[in-house]
Amino acid sequence: MKKRRVCIVGDIPLVVEFAALFLEKGFAVDARTNTSGAVELPHGIRRIVRPSQTTNIAVELTNIDLLRKRRNLAALESAIRPGIPLLSSSVTMTVAEQAEFVRHPRRLLGIGALPSLLQTDLIELAASAATSIETTETARQLFLELGKETALVVDSAGMVFPRILCALANEACHALGDGVAAQDEIDTAMKLGTNYPAGPLEWADRIGYGEVFAVMSSMQKHFDEDRYRPAPLLAQRALAARSKSTRPGAPQARRVE
Amino acid sequence: MKTIGVIGCGTMGSGIAQVAALAGYDVLVFDASTDALGRGMERIAADLQRAVEKKRLDAAEAAVVRRRLHAHRSLNDLATSSFIIEAAAEDLAVKSAIFRTLDRICSPRTILATNTSSLSVTTLGSQTKDPGRLVGMHFFNPPAVMKLVEVVRGAGTTGETIAQTAELARKMGKVPVVCRDTPGFIVNRVARPFYGEALRILGEGIAPVELIDRIVRLEGRFKMGPFELMDLIGIDVNFAVTKSVYERFLHEPRFRPHPIQKAMVESGRLGRKSGKGFYTYE
Repeated sequence: MKKRRVCIVGDIPLVVEFAALFLEKGFAVDARTNTSGAVELPHGIRRIVRPSQTTNIAVELTNIDLLRKRRNLAALESAIRPGIPLLSSSVTMTVAEQAEFVRHPRRLLGIGALPSLLQTDLIELAASAATSIETTETARQLFLELGKETALVVDSAGMVFPRILCALANEACHALGDGVAAQDEIDTAMKLGTNYPAGPLEWADRIGYGEVFAVMSSMQKHFDEDRYRPAPLLAQRALAARSKSTRPGAPQARRVE
Repeated sequence: MKTIGVIGCGTMGSGIAQVAALAGYDVLVFDASTDALGRGMERIAADLQRAVEKKRLDAAEAAVVRRRLHAHRSLNDLATSSFIIEAAAEDLAVKSAIFRTLDRICSPRTILATNTSSLSVTTLGSQTKDPGRLVGMHFFNPPAVMKLVEVVRGAGTTGETIAQTAELARKMGKVPVVCRDTPGFIVNRVARPFYGEALRILGEGIAPVELIDRIVRLEGRFKMGPFELMDLIGIDVNFAVTKSVYERFLHEPRFRPHPIQKAMVESGRLGRKSGKGFYTYE
């Protein structure tokens, strides 16, 4: 049987994480990252400029630059055949908003994609009012093949776990910025005092401060509530992460575990 | 440092006394209520007995530990302690009165620690002539099991007091983290969104209780989801902590409690202890 082909575009390291998983499960993988330059892609992944017409599944993984996300979605959609599902990271932009950017929102489905979360056993899905039941079912089956349970949640800024996790990380940034305790003390306290699997700041580091900031900003915009205002320290760290990733010569890819 | 005073013999006080005695200290335990004192000492004895039965503790050693614990019915009896940990009712007037007395009867070198989770260490320090020796020592429930102690620096607390408190926590087998006296300290503050966002996600109809818990367990690898955890802690207890942090932050919107919590408390659905919370228990 011919290998199924997945086309993955978006942010590093999400593209690398998803590409590695699909590759491991026997898919042919095409990938394009938002930042150009010498990003190492795992061996066996084809770097592409334009999505192939033989693509069976398209995945868009941009969380930070939403203008870029819009362009990526358009490029993916114009290349893939009708009926091919388009899975798009929807933690910083709702599926309903993204549906405005595509011609066939029936095949657009949101996924909860943040760096490092793919290591766990469940992925969240969200549909817009226009998403077809077939698209959702196809995605459910696909993730089952990839070894993931799925949870279908209502389309909303931050979905479920990214919303909780980023709010925790944001509060930890507020506490650190307010001088309540040192970074390691905050992480230690949360692990030992509440049995969290990781400290909120070490978790933010794993996800990326830029991503946490993007999720908070998106929630602040959607819910229009001050409780989602990104902590000043989070904003600083997000900016530092961005300048690091765009400065020539700076290491761009995070190590994939 | 050889003798430790513990004030209050409820769940926290008796647990702290037990941990201190196990670490080799002589412990003077005071409670204003004779009943509470008796029950607390019995709780410690029963817990030590269980440890012996489970072979986690030698029977002879348990006997030695028990002999290190002394119940007292007068606060004056604790005056000779070199370190006093107050774990009385979470009430500013009660705690203030205790610290005013301790300030009068203890040696100026005695360190006075409060196990408060919701009151200001700085405010309690202001009740004494020397706030430099007053410090927060926040244990987690149950103290015999939980490794963390928040060592809370009030506005006047000296570095020496912080260092000695952290050292005592380590000797008691705990991991001290030093933090500034701010509402909720570290844990009770940073943990708020875990419950607050889960309640909002529920209230907005984004996912039901069971699904949110499953997502947090499987996607986040938490041992328990937010609703299972609120049921375990007690929805009333969780609501009280949230309200306290919200009040002390002068109504900062990030800490605003959720109407779902309030309705559940008012209808007696308090979690496991009442048989009904977000889930139903047999």
